Parts: sequence; C-alpha cells; structure tokens
Amino acid sequence: MDQIVRYFFDFPLMADYWPDILKGFLITVEMSVLTVVIGIPLGLLIAIIRLYGIKPLNALIIFYIDFFRSIPQLVLIVLAYFALPHLGLILDPFTATVVALAIVLSAFAEEIFWAGINAVHKGQWEAGRSTGLGFTQTLAYIILPQVVRISIPPLTNRAIGISKGTTLGSVIAVPELLSVTSSIQSNVANPTALTVGALLFLALFLPFVRFTRWLEQAYAHPRS
Amino acid sequence: MIAQDSIGPNGDGDIVVIDGLRKSYGAVEVLRGIDLKVKKGDAVVIVGSSGSGKSTCLRCINRLEEPTSGRIVVGGHEATGKNVDLNALRRRIGMVFQSINLYPHKTALGNVTLALRKVIGLSKAEADAKALKHLELVGLAHKADSYPAQLSGGQQQRVGIARAMALEPQVMLFDEPTSALDPELVGEVLNVMVRTKELGMTMIVVTHEMQFARDVADRVVFMDHGSVLAQGTPEEILVSPQNPRIREFVTRTKS
Repeated sequence: MDQIVRYFFDFPLMADYWPDILKGFLITVEMSVLTVVIGIPLGLLIAIIRLYGIKPLNALIIFYIDFFRSIPQLVLIVLAYFALPHLGLILDPFTATVVALAIVLSAFAEEIFWAGINAVHKGQWEAGRSTGLGFTQTLAYIILPQVVRISIPPLTNRAIGISKGTTLGSVIAVPELLSVTSSIQSNVANPTALTVGALLFLALFLPFVRFTRWLEQAYAHPRS
Repeated sequence: MIAQDSIGPNGDGDIVVIDGLRKSYGAVEVLRGIDLKVKKGDAVVIVGSSGSGKSTCLRCINRLEEPTSGRIVVGGHEATGKNVDLNALRRRIGMVFQSINLYPHKTALGNVTLALRKVIGLSKAEADAKALKHLELVGLAHKADSYPAQLSGGQQQRVGIARAMALEPQVMLFDEPTSALDPELVGEVLNVMVRTKELGMTMIVVTHEMQFARDVADRVVFMDHGSVLAQGTPEEILVSPQNPRIREFVTRTKS
C-alpha cells in the first residue's frame, strides 16, 4: 500500500511541474473543444447535404465517411502534419491534430445523424409537406429537432472517444496533457504525473458527460 | 383525354376533378384510370377492399404520390404537371393520416401553429389565436399545451384534424383516419368529422367505417383493383348495391 502511494500519489514531487501540467491541460481542453465544435456541426452539414440526394456528391460523401471512419487517427494526424506541407499546406502540430480529429469526428457524426434522420417516421415528412411546408422547412422545424434528440447519446460516446485522441498529438510534439505528464514521469522517475494527468482527464470529461445528459433532458419531450 | 377548357376553373362547382388518373409502381398498376368529381361542400367517401388503390388515389390529389398519368384539378388550379407549385397546392388541401403523424416534439398548439406561422406567415399571436379556435372546434382547447404522447389516440387525431383545418383548405383528405385507433376512440374522431362537414368543408374520406359512409356521405365511391367500380348515393352503393362484387363487400363488412 505504501508503495502504491509512493509511486502513484506522490503529489509533493509535482511541485515544480504544476505550471507545465496546467498548460498541457489547457491545450488538451482547447483541442477537445475545437474537435467537437468543428466535427459535429460538420457532420450534421454533410448529413443534410446527403439528404438532398445529389448522386455524384453522395458518392463523394460516402467515400469521405467510409475513409475517415476506417483510417487510424494516428496515421491521419501524422499525414496532416508531414504530408500536407508537400501539397503546400503547412499546419502547426496543434492545428494538424485538431483538423485530423475533427474530420474523423465529422465522419462518425454524419453517420449518427444519418441514422437519426432515417429513424424519423416518413409520416413526419408527409405531415409537414401536406401543410405546405417546403423540404427545407420540414427538415428544419420537424425532422432535425427529433434527430438531434435521438442522436445525443451516440454523439456523446463518439465525441468523447475521439476527443481522447488528442493524446495522439504527442507524436507530432503537441505539448498536450498526456505528453507533458509522461515526460515529467521520465524526468522524476515516478508515475504520479500520470495519475495527475488521469485525474485531469476525468475533470475534463465528466462535466462534458453531465452536460450532454442535461442536453438530452432539454431536448426530451414527454413520452406519456 | 378531354379538352383543357372542358374542366374549367370551378365550372360546375366542382372543387376536385380527377380525370383518367393512373399510377404504376414498376409493372404493377395500382390505379387504372380514375375519374372523379367532388362538388364544393360534399363529402365523398371512398370504400373498397385493402389494396384497391383508395389511399393511393387520395395521396395523388396532394401529390404525396406522383401520378403516372392523368389530370387533377383542385379549386380551379392544376394539381398535376411539372410546373405546379406543390407547397401552394398542398397549403389548399388538408390531409389527415391513418398514422396521425403529430409532431412529437411540439405541443398540440405547436402542431397547429407551425404551418400557420411558416407557410401563411402569421405572427405568433395571430397563429396562437387561430390554432386555439380550431382546437376549440375539435373540443381540445384545454389540451393546447399537451404533447402528443400525453393525448389519447382519438385526441391526437382530433389535433391532426385541427392542424389541417386551421389552414382553411378548399378540401380535406381523410386517409383512414380511424383505422389505427382503439374501437372506443373511433366515435370522437367521427363526430369531429361530422362537424367538419357541417361547417361546409369539402371532404374526401377513405374509410372502413360503413356507418359513417351511410350517414354522412353525399356520395360513395366503390373502388376495386385500381378502378372505380361504381359510385352513387350511400343508399345505391351500400344499402342496395346492384353489382355482385359490391354486394359481397357490403355483406362481409356487416357484422
């Protein structure tokens, strides 16, 4: 027991490192928030475009979704950072990581929204259209509010899963939380830094999960 | 094909004129040339076996189904053809569905006001007032703030009728409005439909409620295998039918 405390909970040992840890934490928060804020609306936008059924565009969309859902995030981050400069697009490590993760999230989010759109009974479309509402109006006022509600739980899962991919930014030297805490671990030869990192990840994602539960409630409509 | 001007806008007081309507799904022809005229203020009830094309015929009128050929005129306006403004057409045609299709995320009031606001362009206050008036007509003003899931099936369908009626359509289409309801809830919906007719609304009703057809219909249309087999007064079609196929149907639906 003493050993566990000494190895994993030796907080005084961290004294010199708190500023670095805090900086790493803030970078992780920023990357996670940006990934979600870009990835989910982009996914919704793609799902809506797909709904208009423009054939060549839809083939492209389906390729995009399948490709970015299949490719490992790590590879994508490395490609964004090392390969894009050859195409004339130079991204800093932070941006490269966020872009890669947001694209992956958008692909998953699109599929979730698409499934949600298909889960809404077609009678809802007919009811809206039969009153003279246009396609886009019916989508905006009748279909999407129902889609968003049923999509929140699976979106939450995906958003958390992919936001945790921010740790992969360490491979291109983004000084995010896990990369900072693991180098501290090597410096002081004690894994307490990782404990701190883990606790901070909890501190980041638990409120996020609580927030989405609140969102679910806010979008709920009485069932009986 | 009859000439363009022989149908004429409101020429004979016909609100709906269907002429040679055909509809195929691939090789299967579900409507084989339907001719039908509905006078302003009349209630026309379409009866027939399942699969006879009743609902498809109804759904062609507001173009929820795309006719393969034929012509439909509603209130003097062409309903068929490429250049028809579908939203404007549908705004003049009310529809009530078998599956009711209330918007689950909106209150009864919200269900009725949506199109009033977004299609007609009424202000919130105007739309609310008009919606309440129509909820009153179906006896549900006190449920204005209830969500569909908090209403019985019969109440939901009455809201569905209010939603369509609030747009003050030229004709109301009822597509088996009571078929999905528990038997004890059918009566309240039929009563609202009777009141709708009393308000002078033109109605085309697809239903299996033979009592309603006998009591309320000005005309009964019997459809069979995608064609109109006969049409006439409820007495002619449902009480003493001449056609053996209809006689058989009537005997089977008497229970």
